[in-house]
Amino acid sequence: MSNPLLLFWYRLFATEPVRRAPRWRVPMSTSRKASATIFLVMRRMRVPLIVLIVIFAISTLGLTLIPGQDAEGRPWRMGFFDAFYVMSFTASTIGFGEIPYAFTYNQRMWLTISIYLTVVGWAYAIGSLLALLQERGFRQALALQHFTRKVERMREPFLLIVGYGRTGELLARSLDALGRRFVVIDRDDGRIDDLDLDSYHADVPGLVADAGDPGHLAVAGLDLPSCEGVLALTDDDEANLAVVQAAALLRPDLPVITRAVSPTTAERMRAFGTPTVVNPFDRFGDHLRVALRAPASYQLMTWLESGPGASLPPRGSPPSHGHWVICGYGRFGREVTQDLRAEGLDVTVVEPSDVAEHHPDAIVGYGYEPGVLGRAGIEHAAGFVAGTDNDTTNLSLIAAARRANPTLFVAARQNKAASAPLFAAVEVDSMLVPADVVAHEVYAQLSTPLMWRFLQEVPRREDAWAAAVVGRLTQLCGEHLQAVWKVRLTATEAPALQAWLAEGGARLGDLLRNPDDRDEPLHAVPLLLARAGEGDNGADVEVAPDDDVVLAPDDELLLVGWPSARRLLDATLLVDATREYVVHGRHVPSSWVWRKLTRRPA
Amino acid sequence: MNLEKVVFGFFVLFAATLNFGFFIGDIGDPALHNSYELYAAVVVNLIATVLKFGDRTQIGAVHLATSLVADLQLIAAALVWGFASYVAAEGLTREATASVVSLSGGALMANIVSVVLLVVETVSFQRR
Repeated sequence: MSNPLLLFWYRLFATEPVRRAPRWRVPMSTSRKASATIFLVMRRMRVPLIVLIVIFAISTLGLTLIPGQDAEGRPWRMGFFDAFYVMSFTASTIGFGEIPYAFTYNQRMWLTISIYLTVVGWAYAIGSLLALLQERGFRQALALQHFTRKVERMREPFLLIVGYGRTGELLARSLDALGRRFVVIDRDDGRIDDLDLDSYHADVPGLVADAGDPGHLAVAGLDLPSCEGVLALTDDDEANLAVVQAAALLRPDLPVITRAVSPTTAERMRAFGTPTVVNPFDRFGDHLRVALRAPASYQLMTWLESGPGASLPPRGSPPSHGHWVICGYGRFGREVTQDLRAEGLDVTVVEPSDVAEHHPDAIVGYGYEPGVLGRAGIEHAAGFVAGTDNDTTNLSLIAAARRANPTLFVAARQNKAASAPLFAAVEVDSMLVPADVVAHEVYAQLSTPLMWRFLQEVPRREDAWAAAVVGRLTQLCGEHLQAVWKVRLTATEAPALQAWLAEGGARLGDLLRNPDDRDEPLHAVPLLLARAGEGDNGADVEVAPDDDVVLAPDDELLLVGWPSARRLLDATLLVDATREYVVHGRHVPSSWVWRKLTRRPA
Repeated sequence: MNLEKVVFGFFVLFAATLNFGFFIGDIGDPALHNSYELYAAVVVNLIATVLKFGDRTQIGAVHLATSLVADLQLIAAALVWGFASYVAAEGLTREATASVVSLSGGALMANIVSVVLLVVETVSFQRR
């Protein structure tokens, strides 16, 4: 039913919303520095080249001046062409012989001198050229120029990712799967080399540079109109703050998402525009609360946040009441303690440093020391959190706690990516990997705004409702999450539907039918319906709408389903004949000529 | 006195004078145009070109452009000369000589521009 050509045509000529030009041009001092280096190289090649030219000139001239003999022994002088030819093959050590006539002793003597001279000249010139090519500064300049050119040629909207650590890498993978473009800056050249090795669908320009210099951000496309956002994801709060400041001051119109572990830095960031600050410890605490109250909601959230291709996380069963023991009262421990107490749970903190001494009901000591956990009441505890900033300590804490009480629910914090197999082996019930938390959070905010609204809506719902949604999704996609996409029923994105929507009575169930056979449902589940309206946040939201919901023009839908369902739905939105079949079950001709002949309007 | 400037001025001027020396005389008479002079002009022009590498100013860029033009013209002249004397059956005729000399005349134009630029640069430097 659907006509691929029409789809193609529509995509090619559909009008795009106009993007606003940046207010300021950032001076690109960095790229000027790069061209300066190349000029420097040219300058350095002056002496070797002149030496080569002079040696060549002298030896060629000498060969034309020295008298020789032809085959019959008559006096003969070599012309310039012969001399140049002989010198060329002699200098490059090819050596065709004595051309055109056998040389006299005079000529041979001169040639002997010339051979040594020219070989030295060539060796010097080629040696200096190779040395220059190997030089670090020159290679960096070339890489910078290459990078600048690649970024400037990017016509599609792209994101600027600062910091390509574990968070950056996870996020880049998910964004790449969504078909988004991005540019990466990292201080570590090893990470940028990894960027080439990680196979992305799109070409990803990467630069080794300190993001604290706004010039580097400018080179990476901060002031290009196609830059659609900045992500500051380094593991250093101060560096992230510098990026937030630069982005807010130079491009106030750009959305900025950043990670910050300390609340003070987060406050300082919020002084610059409206950046979205993600604190992994804070988010983990929130997630833990959701997990305690509604395991299925937590399962649904983590699954959707992991992005397309993610497998369904197991549904945990954390104890919703009882005694909890938390080891480590740092930034993470504090957040978790607050969140657990807010849930009405009884919490005991174990912390070796003097922080704990000021705390009334904290136990001072290392959790793995004999007796300390016993004093904290581990035997009758329901849950245990190993939350220090040292993976070795956390692992021994888990072992000690398990030995004392094998039925514990154990949550742990993993600090280094390298420790992942160890934590997997001890089978922790709930893991905090700060890098993963940030990556999933940022992904949820970036993938589509509707997804973010959906995820914020989930904790407010019942656990049974979330379990039903998970059930529908697993029935549709299996254990692995398929495509997640957004559909806007506007005049530009769904021109074929406008008349039907305006009539009223446009049921969602009628829209989500298969254009090949309308009795079959489309393999997609609507997660959210957003309607521009009078609501407080400018829109009414319906979570997981059912088939009988009536659609209106300009509604936005968030769907999860097979990638093929997305293509089929696109056809319904764009092609009149497909819409006619899917919605009403009528077959109408799709070509203009045939429509005129049969006098049936589409 | 800057030695770099002396060397630079020397080669730019020397390229122009050698080129002029080869160019002057009856355009078709091979006896009036010495091949050694053409050879020297090519070599000195190449050296002048290399000396102009890596100058980032506007005037430096024009300098390099004029030198590249002169090189092209002179190398073309040398090629025509070589073809006429070694390959062509008739040898170095009046016509062949005329085309060699006229090519070097084009190079002379570029060299004159180069010298003018050098003078302009020097004069403007004095006024600063």
